[in-house]
Amino acid sequence: MDSDKKKKINRRTFLKGAASAAIAGSTAVTAGCKGKGLLGSSEAFALEFKEYFKKHYRLMTPTERQQTVTRLEKLAKLRQDINVNIDTTGPAENVLYGYAFNVTRCEGYMECVKACVKENNLDRKSNTQYIRIFEMEHGQMSPDQGDGKYFHMVPKEGHFYMGVQCFQCENPPCVKACPTKATWKEKDGIVVVDYDWCIGCRYCMAACPYWGRRFNWNQPEIPKEEVTTQQHYLGNRQRVRGMMEKCTFCIQRSRKGKVTACVEACPTGARVFGNLLDPDSEIRFVLENKKVYRLKEDLGTDPKFWYFID
Amino acid sequence: MKKDMASKGLLSFAKDTLLWNLSGSIGYQIYLCILVCLMLTGVYGYFIQFKLGLSATNMSNIVSWGFYISNFTFLVGVAAAAVMLILPSYVFGDKDLHKVVIIGEVVAVGALVMCMTFVFVDLGRPLQFWHLIPGIGQLNFPSSLLAWDILVLNGYLALNALVPAYIVYCHYQGKEPVGKYYKPFVFISIGWAVAIHMITAFLYQGLPARPFWNNPLLGPRFLASAFAAGPAIISLVLHIVNSTTDYKIDNKIFNKLRIIIVSAAVINLLMLFSEIFKEFYFPTHHSQSAMYLFFGLEGHDSLVPWIWTAISINLLGTLILAFNPFKERQIFLLPALVMLIVGIWLEKGIGLIVPGLVPSPMGEIISYSPSNVELFITLGVVGLGMFVVTVLLKPALIIEKRYEDRHLTD
Amino acid sequence: MKNPKIKKYLFYIILFCILPGIMVLFSSMAAFSNDQGVASKIKKATSKLDKATQVEQSIPLPKNIVKATVEYQGGTFFTQARKNEIKRFQCSSCHNNKKVLINNAADMSHADIKVLHGNKGKPLSCDTCHNKDDRDFLVSSTTDKIDLDHVYDMCGQCHFRQKKDWIGGAHGKRVTYWAGERVVKNCTSCHNPHSPRFEKQWPKTYSVPLK
Repeated sequence: MDSDKKKKINRRTFLKGAASAAIAGSTAVTAGCKGKGLLGSSEAFALEFKEYFKKHYRLMTPTERQQTVTRLEKLAKLRQDINVNIDTTGPAENVLYGYAFNVTRCEGYMECVKACVKENNLDRKSNTQYIRIFEMEHGQMSPDQGDGKYFHMVPKEGHFYMGVQCFQCENPPCVKACPTKATWKEKDGIVVVDYDWCIGCRYCMAACPYWGRRFNWNQPEIPKEEVTTQQHYLGNRQRVRGMMEKCTFCIQRSRKGKVTACVEACPTGARVFGNLLDPDSEIRFVLENKKVYRLKEDLGTDPKFWYFID
Repeated sequence: MKKDMASKGLLSFAKDTLLWNLSGSIGYQIYLCILVCLMLTGVYGYFIQFKLGLSATNMSNIVSWGFYISNFTFLVGVAAAAVMLILPSYVFGDKDLHKVVIIGEVVAVGALVMCMTFVFVDLGRPLQFWHLIPGIGQLNFPSSLLAWDILVLNGYLALNALVPAYIVYCHYQGKEPVGKYYKPFVFISIGWAVAIHMITAFLYQGLPARPFWNNPLLGPRFLASAFAAGPAIISLVLHIVNSTTDYKIDNKIFNKLRIIIVSAAVINLLMLFSEIFKEFYFPTHHSQSAMYLFFGLEGHDSLVPWIWTAISINLLGTLILAFNPFKERQIFLLPALVMLIVGIWLEKGIGLIVPGLVPSPMGEIISYSPSNVELFITLGVVGLGMFVVTVLLKPALIIEKRYEDRHLTD
Repeated sequence: MKNPKIKKYLFYIILFCILPGIMVLFSSMAAFSNDQGVASKIKKATSKLDKATQVEQSIPLPKNIVKATVEYQGGTFFTQARKNEIKRFQCSSCHNNKKVLINNAADMSHADIKVLHGNKGKPLSCDTCHNKDDRDFLVSSTTDKIDLDHVYDMCGQCHFRQKKDWIGGAHGKRVTYWAGERVVKNCTSCHNPHSPRFEKQWPKTYSVPLK
């Protein structure tokens, strides 16, 4: 009699446990499906399914790269109804990009920031900006002493302005830190991210001494008419939440010979961009004739972004 | 009706384990229900986080690691602390501690499960975790310390799960486990435990971008705080086991653990003092993080009360445990243990991760406190850890008790 | 009793300390064996590159450019032409020996131009730059004619440092392409010659406090 009662209690508790497990399991499954938004169109789902299993970009053959580009372009059409052109141009021979910033000429207009946000399809909802302009008081050199959140008539008396962004280090600590090799330095010196390979652990963000990397905390939202459709796989193509991203020296522009969006937008010509391996380039002129310096040089990151003063 | 012990196989082991886990007093059933509720809270929180992305947390581009990684850091230490039971019992042949090694290893397994779950919920794209598996993905070994950490944590989980499983299974069958099968792995796990926590420390220590972390004392400090907090948690579990089951644990064991905890806690405090001296004797730019933590910067001082509380209760707990006013009744030392654990959890968790990231490398300062979603998910993970410990410990203790009784009668 | 036990496993313990140590050694060797820094790469790159091969596609030249009369380190370069940007150019259509027979000549005259170039309170006079004998040109201080498209020769008389920087690329702006033929903005592409300093303005955007 006693053992029967014990058995009853056991069965009851077993059923209780099994029921709660079932509830938990089904909640998780529906959460998974709903959260991923996979209950959308089946063609988009099929494309995303294939995209999930693709290799690391560096290991892909040219055919596979073409296939993934086709899938991504189709997905952009299906999901947002825009026609994009995703490029996979590789680095050119004898090119190493360098950048110089004229601290005397920057007046804090932030046209570079605006152009960068538009060109690189940055998330408008979280106001992601690759470039940050600091308003510095005279007598200071380091941007961490400056104010990055100013909004008044510029230039302000007694202050000067300098901008920071990813400095495309030649010895990048973020590349060393990434556990999946999702970020690497290309031959032409640009440190790029294979967005689909990134798992979003944010270790690279902790490793960067210049605050150069950004994370998509939410799904990026860009108004349809403001999307830049000329894109590069490693550059400004549409990103999803959970991926890292960063300034890529406008890889979609620079690999076609154009200057970056920030250089193009600056009204005072404070930004200089070019090929460090070309002795005739303007960037070489700046490095040889002006007094240049780099930030946090003692950390040994060897950035390819110099500051100079007229 | 005495069952024939030799005929018990794996299936019967599984069935018995399941039954033992689900049966028990009404208090135990309520406890299991509470754990399931905690886990469901976690699932609900994760559902929200999966829908909104990590913007459901209070993490941002400045504080890119928050509550999840803080808890992960603390729990890796707890997992490593099982070595503080294994070392005396296997290397120095301490018979008393040998009795409770199994409990230490089960707590380590629970802590490791919690660690891995915390990392999983912290990832931006957890479904792409297969990108880490060497062979089908790309693992950046040996450059990236996260890659090292993944390998050593999984290895340690295997060591700490399989060795006790083998021993318990042998005891279940009434056999003596074969020494040469498992003893080498036990000795490997001694070095491995130190390795997991040093490697987790190197994760932070190896970043020159974060001067608060980039000091050589971080690794040893991690070990000291782990060997104080870990055995303290194991002590708590032993107290619970002692009072709720018939697996009796002698006062001598508690005393030995107390000595281990106090030694480690004193070393931890010494290292803390060394760090405070370095930051505040001649404050430089690099001391901004410590200023933010201890005194607040530019009006952002949300962490200040937490760190001072943490250090005070750490100190108080260490003193009480050291001078031991309750000579015989170790159970009165429970508040001191809890104070030590909470103090180290605060100082090593949120008091290490957030100041390391604030001010940002470009000097910007914000406040951080966990959002509701983070708290829900943390509760869920803690529930999961306790559930794993309970589910593994209950059958293990029943089997050990039976084996011990049989050997005492034989 | 304890010592033989430790001795037995000492070998394994030491082995598992040495093996990770060797791995750390090799990984740190790998870490330090990366390429030399940027400075040495730049030092080595002294041979001139063929402008056409720096990118895969051909670079179109923008319209409305003139070849500069000065050379820079790469040879010749182009700058933006300015004459067709000036609304009332050919100045000699009004300024010639004939009488000015235009209604509302006063309105159309250059009274709207404020000269804020030079010292405060002592601005430059019109004749400093504009050629009295031929209004379609400017005049240098050595009384040479300067074409309006080559205004850098004019500005460079006083602002010689900026001119040197402009020729090299540290001042001014390259137009659209970093590769291919060099095309840069002219002085007056950015600076109003009568009031060259840039006005104060509001920034185009702002950065938000992060949570």
